[in-house]
Amino acid sequence: MALVEVENLSKTYGDVHAVDNVTFDIQQGEIFGLLGPNGAGKSTTINVLCTYTELTAGKVTVAGHSVTAEPEAVKRAVGVVPQDIALYPDLNAVENLRFFGRMYDVPKATLEGRIGDLLELVGLTEHARKRVEHYSGGMKRRLNLAVGLLSEPRFLMLDEPTVGVDPQSRNAIFENIQALNRQGLTALYTTHYMEEAELLCHRVAIMDEGRIIALDTPQHLIHTLGTGLIHLGVRDINEEMLRRLRALPQVKAVARRDDTLAFETVDAQGALLDIIGLFNETDTPMTSLEILEPNLESVFIQLTGKQLRD
Amino acid sequence: MKKLLHIALNELLLLRKDKMAVMWMIVLPLGMTFIGGLVFGAFGGGSEAVVIDLPVVDQDGGEMAAVVLDILSQTGNLNLETTYDEETARGLVADGKRAGTVVIPSGFGAAMISGQATALELIVTPGGQTAPLLEGMVRGVTSAFSNVQTTVEVAFREVQRATGSTDLDYDGIAGRAVATALERLHDPPVRAQVTTVGSEEEEFDVSGQIVPGYAVMFAMFSILSAAGGILEEKERGTFKRLFISPIPKWSLLGGKLVAQFLVGVGQIGLMFVFGALVFDMDVGHSPLGLLLITLATCWATTSLGILLVAVIRSRKQIHPITTLIILGSSAIGGAWFPLFLMPKAVQQVARITLVAWAMEGYNRLMILGGSLADVWANIGVLILYGLICFAIGLKLFRFKEA
Repeated sequence: MALVEVENLSKTYGDVHAVDNVTFDIQQGEIFGLLGPNGAGKSTTINVLCTYTELTAGKVTVAGHSVTAEPEAVKRAVGVVPQDIALYPDLNAVENLRFFGRMYDVPKATLEGRIGDLLELVGLTEHARKRVEHYSGGMKRRLNLAVGLLSEPRFLMLDEPTVGVDPQSRNAIFENIQALNRQGLTALYTTHYMEEAELLCHRVAIMDEGRIIALDTPQHLIHTLGTGLIHLGVRDINEEMLRRLRALPQVKAVARRDDTLAFETVDAQGALLDIIGLFNETDTPMTSLEILEPNLESVFIQLTGKQLRD
Repeated sequence: MKKLLHIALNELLLLRKDKMAVMWMIVLPLGMTFIGGLVFGAFGGGSEAVVIDLPVVDQDGGEMAAVVLDILSQTGNLNLETTYDEETARGLVADGKRAGTVVIPSGFGAAMISGQATALELIVTPGGQTAPLLEGMVRGVTSAFSNVQTTVEVAFREVQRATGSTDLDYDGIAGRAVATALERLHDPPVRAQVTTVGSEEEEFDVSGQIVPGYAVMFAMFSILSAAGGILEEKERGTFKRLFISPIPKWSLLGGKLVAQFLVGVGQIGLMFVFGALVFDMDVGHSPLGLLLITLATCWATTSLGILLVAVIRSRKQIHPITTLIILGSSAIGGAWFPLFLMPKAVQQVARITLVAWAMEGYNRLMILGGSLADVWANIGVLILYGLICFAIGLKLFRFKEA
């Protein structure tokens, strides 16, 4: 059963389509990834789902409640780990958690225990009484996560929770999310790091310029690339050459972008030998050659021609 | 309501942890008030008259010279110094150590008795502000003596004419007449009787102006600074986090406003306690009136804060704008100088500031000795001012992205 349903969601700011006719759903117990570069519309999508931003068009329901008609019910059902470190720097971890816990109506009788459990979960028990302003970036991110979990939400939204974080803290956050998911937490995870999406997410939607351009499990998305992509820089190539390249047995597809040919292959090594052989035979010059491993980033490059991270 | 209180308490907790903010809110206002009190003589509960040290060189040493000294000492503004010789006294004036010196010449008394012209010499510093004051005092003495001398001379001639005698003891009669006349200067038979109507005459308590003036100004700084903190929260993301949690909007904003309001009331209260303890400030006869004016002022200021935050959406802009508003309205609103000292046009313009209404209320209660009934209009205007600002501010305030 879908915990979150997004149908034809659009959000515009003047002439800018921050989110453009997006549709997806998130199943109970699933970690759903939104992968895309900065400005793709990931944060805007989360802002609509958590009722911070009003949608321009479409329909969104979270835990059976409409974000437009029943925002208060949605707020009670969700937890959010925002991209900003939304903490009070002059307060310590316990004070931050206690304050936000009261805002989320965590019962007084259980609040202190909950605070202790969360601090232990994110590994901040030893630093509980230090002011947040003295925390490292990673520690702040972990506390940010703890605040999002205070209300024991059914659905947790994490907006790029590992930006600027040291590897140790990053791994700790991953472990926390996976552990919570095993206990039944449903999550929406946005990131521009493909390795995070591959590691954590059951399904990934690749977003660019406000639209979802691909949606599937990471394995299926990567599988479309075969064993790898080949990018070949060329100076001058004619249609006959392109036809012959497309006909090579190990080549699934060839796309031309300016002075680069992008090959989807069944077998990258085998295809490479054939391609070089053909270029030699026709005495066609090459300017560059790049072989990309099959991963989500290369899927993104293949779909958009752009890097995930500039 | 519980969440509103928790938010208010959290704001106060944040304030307590911000040592710089505490310094700005407590130490600076108290320090400035103390300095203001020193400068304007608020200690002792009122302004004191300036006393001028005046060397008087008595070269005559007679009874008439003693009368001159006696009359000068009665003015209350002079501290007579009679130990200097003429050269030393002139030197003190030339060096700027004394504003002036008076020389009673030798033979002054004899000339007075015999009806001959004489003079008291006043040496003053050129361009000094005290010179006219001293000149006025000395002329007063010489004028009195001239009148006495003239009167005695005229009376003696009339006696001579009436009696036809040319053998009268002029010096003896003149001496007794002059002595009697000069005695009468202390207790004249014809005098001006001044009657005051209305309340009992009191000395002007300058602390009654300084303390509430600075209290209102610094309370505005604190409250509007706290209002600017809402913009900081928006930029930091904690405001968004609060908005997306299950808190009613009115609790979210209300909690912050309550905290700002309490800060303002507490600060003004602290300043008044300070004024009462350090300056023996007279708080008037209506504690309830003072409380209501204070509450109304803080309500108006808090509401102004929410209006400014709703209109000015950048943290970088809000501080210079609020500083301009606070200093400008304090200057023309009577926080620094009593409103009634300003030109009429300024007094009219000042009515658009909440400071003017607050200060008028405080002045009526503390300086003019008014009652609660005298400040109902001020309380009403401040409440209305706050309601208007609050309504507009709430309408324009953006809780979330559109």
